[in-house]
This record gives sequence, C-alpha cells and structure tokens, in this order.
Amino acid sequence: MSLWRGGEKGRYETYKVPLRENQTVLDVVTFVQRHLDPTLSYRFACRVGMCGSCAMTVNGRPRWTCRTHVSRVATRGQLEIGPLENLPVIKDLTTDMRPFFEKWQQAKGAFVPSQTRGDEIERIRPDSPARIAADAAIECINCAICYAACDTVRWNSDYLGPAALNRAWTLVNDVRDGATSERLQAVAASGGCHACHSHQSCQELCPQQLNPTASIAGLKRRTMWAYLKGEI
Amino acid sequence: MSLERLRTDILILGSGGAGLFAALHALKANPDLEVTVATKGLLGKCGCTRMVQGGYNVALNPGDSVERHFMDTIEGGKWLPHQELAWTLVSTAVERVRELENEIGCFFDRNPDGTLHGKAFAGQTFDCTVHKDDLTGIEIINRLMEQVWARPVRRLEEHRAVAFIPAADGALAGVLLIDIRTGAFRFVAAQAVLLATGGGPTMYRYHTPSGDKSMDGLAMALRAGLLLRDMEMVQFHPTGLLAGPDTRMTGTVLEEGLRGAGGHLLNGAMHRFMGDYDKELERATRDVVSRAIYAEMRAGRTTPNGGVYIKMGHLGPEKVAKQFKGMVERCRDCGFDLAGGLVEVVPTAHYFMGGVVCRPDTSTEWPGLFVAGEDASGMHGANRLGGNGVANSTVFGGIAGDVMPRWISANGGHRAPDERVLDAELARALHPFGCKPGNLNELREKLLDTMWGEVGVVRDREGLDRGVAALDAIEAELLVTGLADEGRAFNMTWHDWLNLRSLTEVSRVIALAARKRENSRGAHFRSDFPEPGDLASSRFTVARQTAAGLDITDAPVAFTHVRPGETLLDKVAAE
Repeated sequence: MSLWRGGEKGRYETYKVPLRENQTVLDVVTFVQRHLDPTLSYRFACRVGMCGSCAMTVNGRPRWTCRTHVSRVATRGQLEIGPLENLPVIKDLTTDMRPFFEKWQQAKGAFVPSQTRGDEIERIRPDSPARIAADAAIECINCAICYAACDTVRWNSDYLGPAALNRAWTLVNDVRDGATSERLQAVAASGGCHACHSHQSCQELCPQQLNPTASIAGLKRRTMWAYLKGEI
Repeated sequence: MSLERLRTDILILGSGGAGLFAALHALKANPDLEVTVATKGLLGKCGCTRMVQGGYNVALNPGDSVERHFMDTIEGGKWLPHQELAWTLVSTAVERVRELENEIGCFFDRNPDGTLHGKAFAGQTFDCTVHKDDLTGIEIINRLMEQVWARPVRRLEEHRAVAFIPAADGALAGVLLIDIRTGAFRFVAAQAVLLATGGGPTMYRYHTPSGDKSMDGLAMALRAGLLLRDMEMVQFHPTGLLAGPDTRMTGTVLEEGLRGAGGHLLNGAMHRFMGDYDKELERATRDVVSRAIYAEMRAGRTTPNGGVYIKMGHLGPEKVAKQFKGMVERCRDCGFDLAGGLVEVVPTAHYFMGGVVCRPDTSTEWPGLFVAGEDASGMHGANRLGGNGVANSTVFGGIAGDVMPRWISANGGHRAPDERVLDAELARALHPFGCKPGNLNELREKLLDTMWGEVGVVRDREGLDRGVAALDAIEAELLVTGLADEGRAFNMTWHDWLNLRSLTEVSRVIALAARKRENSRGAHFRSDFPEPGDLASSRFTVARQTAAGLDITDAPVAFTHVRPGETLLDKVAAE
C-alpha cells in the first residue's frame, strides 16, 4: 500500500502490510503506525462510523476508513491512501476540517430557537410533509466526504458545499426554527445553493446514503419562491 | 522547551455532552466570560456522547414520574448511588430534554399524534427513553456542536490535557496541555476548570468506547490527589463484535435490542447456552449475560476467535435487516452477515461508573475544579441504566455551566502556576523521548490481557493480586520504554505512550478497589464473594493517591431519599 507522507507538499510512500480476514482500511493504517513507522499521523475516534473523523481518500475516492473492508477496495492487493481533498493537509493523512465547519456556520447551520426550555415540547406529526423532508436529510455525521468529493468546491473555494447546504435544508423544514428568512438569504448568496452544478458526487458517495443534491435542489426552489414573494 | 501561555476564564476539558452543555450555559450565565473548550479530538467528534444508541431516560410522559426514574436508578445501581446526585440527575433531566428540543434544536422521535415517543429499555419500569432512532447521540452532539460553533467559544481542538497545575499555595491555577497537531505545550490559566473528558474503560482487551479515550482525566485527578469513588465499577456489555486480532472493530458494541428481539447466543458447539444460567435466557440483564458468556469462554466452549455466536437469522433475515438496519449495515461493511449468519461476540467493557467525588452542583473538593459526565461518580452506583449516560452528561454539564460563573464572581481571579510543578509535568510528558525505543505494542497487549483476565467480568482475590502485580510490572516496563524523538507534531505514538500511562495508573485503582469490595454488586462480581451483602449497611469505595501510595477505603452510603426495602412510589400513588 502507499500512504501520503508530509503536508500539502509530500509524496506517497510504500509499505507492506499482512492481509487479514477481517481488516478495515483504518486497521492497515494503524498497522503501519504501530509496526512500521511510528511517526505516521491519521485521525480516528469512534471506530464504527458515527463520528466522521477518519475519512481519507482511498484508491481515489473519499471513504470512512473504519467501515471500509480492505477486500472491498483493494485493487490487485494494492491500496493508495491519502488525506481528504479540498481541505488543507495538516500532516500525512490528517486534514484541517475548520473550513468545512466554518461554511456550516455561514450556511446558518445552527438551529435558532423560537421557544424555551420552559415550554412543552411541540407536537409535530412525523408524517407531516416538512418533517418528512427534514428527516430524509438529517442523519449527516459531518464526515466531509461529500465536501471532498465535490467538483464545485474544488473550483470555487467560496462554495459552501453539500453538507452545509444539506443542513440548511433540514432547518428550513424544521417548523420550530425561528430564522428561515435569514437562512434562505445566506444560502441564496454567492457561493450558496445556486453555485451547485448537480454533479451528484455527494449523493453517490455519502456513506449515510443521504442525497445532498436533492436538498440543494430544494433550497434552490425555496429561495426562488422567497425571492419572488419578496421575502428575501 | 517551548511553552505557550494562554489565559481564559473558564476552561472546559472535553467536548461531549457535558463539555458542550457547560460551555453554552456558562456563556448564557455571563457572556462577558471567555470560555475555552479543549478537546483531544475534533470538537464534538471524539468521545462517546456521539456514540449513544439507545436514548435519554426522562420522566416526561403522562403517567410517569421522576420518583419512578429515581427508583429505577437506585435499584439498578444496587443501592450504591449517591442519592442526592441521582435525584439531581432524574429531576433535572426533564428540563434538559426540553432544552435540547426547544433551544438546541434536537428532534426526537414522535408518536403518530406528534407527541414525544418513549421507548422501552432494560431496567426501566416505564417506557421513558426519548430517542432518535438508534442514533440518538449523533442528533444530540451534532446540534450541540452547531450551537457552540455559533458562539464566541475558544476552541482548542486536538489538545490533550496532561496535568492540573496548582499555584504555589495549592489553589488551582490551570491546566497543561499538548497541542497534538504541533507537539507544543500550552499552559492555560483559568479561573475555573471543568473536567469532562469522559471515562471510558479502554484498558480491557474488549472495549466499546471511542478509540481516543484513555482515562486521562481520571489519571490527572488521581495525581492531583482528588478523591475517587466506585472505581471497581466497570460495566460490561455482553455483545461486543469479535473480529479477531489487529482490528479496531473488535469490541465495538452490537446493540442490546438484538437479544431483546429474540436473538440467540450459541457457544462454539452450537449449543444455546443461556438456559444453563438464567431462566430469562438471552433477555437476562447485561451483567448476567456477560458472566454466562465469560463462563463459556473459560470452559473453552468457544468460536474460532474465542467468543460465542449471536444468531438472528431464525427471526427472518429481511425482518432483522429492517429492524436493525444500522447494526446489520455496520456488520456487513466489516464483512459479517448479522441478519442471516452467525456473528462472533464477546463481553466488552462499556462504561465506567467510577470517577471523581463531587457534589450535586458539580464542585469537587478542590476549589475551582468542577467535574461532569463519565469523569464524575456516584450517580449510577454499581451499574448505570441504559439511557442514563447521556442524561448524566448533559444534566451535570449544564449545571457546571450555571455554577462556574457564579463561583468565579465570588472566588475568582487567575493564580500564578507553581513553576516547579509545571516543569515537572513537562518533563513527565516528555519522559519517553529520554528512553531507548522499545516495544509499546507488546505492553499495550499485556495491559489489555491483564485487565480482561484478572480484573474483568468475574474477579477473585488471587486474580486481583496477580493483576496488581502485573500492572506494576507493566508500568515499570513502560517507564523504560522510549520513543525516537523524530518529530512531535501529530505524533500518535507519543500519545499512545501517554495513553498507556494514564490507563495503567487508573487500572491499578480499579484492581485495588475491586479487591477492597468483598461482595458482588451490579457490575462488580467476585466469585469468592458472590453475595451482594447487606443492603442497609452498603458502603462505597473511595481511593486517593497520597505521598505514601494509593489509599483505598470505604464509606457508608447515605440513604437520604429512600432506604433499602422502601420505595418512593407509594408516596406518588398516594398523592
């Protein structure tokens, strides 16, 4: 296997790791750090696809390394593992995820309350259309795979990216949220939902099988209506 | 040696449910204070809050009561919980869940009529567990981290805390940290500090917590001479995935619901063995099933990798794949067919009930130091109920955030650190770079095997003695095992070394507390003392590091709300 070593500038180095029956990409990276080169840097936490810390580029595609069995991705027994694309490299296989999370904030990806802890929890039927739309997009774990896979992010560094816009879409459909027009304004601005070219890499590669392209299309429609009605 | 000095008002160690709630509450209480969150991984992405599957126990529904939640917590904890802490937990949980929904933006599952859904969970006498499918933790932590990002909170991500630093007069001055990305040291002076790094018993061969966890917080508290309580209490989950050596998949939890839904456990001879141990079969409680599996393993009736099988296929693979979508997909990604085939499982260390002694307002015996979440102790006693973990971290994290600003206005001020302690702690953290490189992996394996074999699911005096001796040997060997000083930036092997040191130090306290408790309660089982002992005279263990060594004693449980044999539910019924 070859692993990226260094920062933004670096090179791929080759290692030989024994094949095991049960072995994920994270396991082979760990093997290199534990047994072949103790200075190798990578990031992981939960080990089970819940935290979204361990995504890397594996044979050209961004993937969760903890949930990717080596046998599913190795080609002719070989793996090439690098840091996620579209994010600054810290060292070896680790990237700085701050731009990704900053854009989440630019898209107004935080709930704005309209009630307080003193109020009863709102009755919301799970079969209401807005809730169905929000639920369909909510299970994002912010692993940045969609962001790393996105051609628009690659070409336009101002583009907010699929995950941030997908979160904005869930909030636009959350009837409890108190900042819909500010959020629609934020995502309608330059670098927002209208910058998406619908290349669909995000929905092809999302490990949670979410469809950010559809969420962004929803935002495009919603911002257009809000504009026509003079709301934004 | 480079040491950068920072100053903040409130320093929070940890970014799980406790740490993030504390940050939000502290800023709300006093927006003029600077709040800093330091976390070993990325904010909200490391640690275990995110990994919560089950849900959040809370008495919100008509027909339920906080007294009912309290009694379940006390009975589940085998009468060892600190009753004021347990009462604070169950009574504050109600407001906290409303805050999560109404202010933080979590959306929990609803009934068809739009009201909040409560699900049944082991050890509960009312279906009170609020949840978001079986991924409740992701919903809670994602929403919390968004709120924290949206506020002026200073974030020190990938910063490992290594020591509390006192002032010359002994008051708390701040915390020494390592910036993992650069390898540089930072001293953060603070008026108040919250310890919320999350326990996480990762010193066992099989364990469920997030891989970044290594009991650093408790090792720091131990070295600072703080009182630790219930340190023998390690909860094992009966079904961790057993995937063989050299894979981080091994130990990760396969959910409780699989047994509840009718899954079978088979030993290596394909015998469904639970009937040999308990009339409830696979649906017996976590501790009973864990001990039964452990007994099969000790008897050698195991699967190829040394565990037992869980079998779901007789319930219909399609039905299983639908009902347990997340689990089936996780197993499939890792090469196992949970829906239709056999998956090897093993008991796995899941949660640590022990921790720093604290008051219901999260204060500790060290003025200025507060503790919340899995680093704190006393809420759960001998066993934590499923669904009380995230309740605990969010309830007490929020309380810490309310209390710290008040404490600062009454007692605050920055104190100059004792430079000698600071120097000593820097040298301690750099210790491995001064030794000849050695085999760290072998030492890790030894620790995992020692704790699993001698201080694990079933304990006895002889095994615990062997365990303590082995831990002493591991520590001695670790202290002469070095690392090449080839760059400290993002040097995970350095952090592996520091992890091992924290784990070994806390492991010794676990073993000694387990030796002290000569009865069997909840998660702690002694084959040489299998009876629970008299409940009315229950005692809890207390450990403290002194200059003379580890001092392990015990103290009587104060039954301030209810005594063994009594219940608060009669009172509720009468009202």
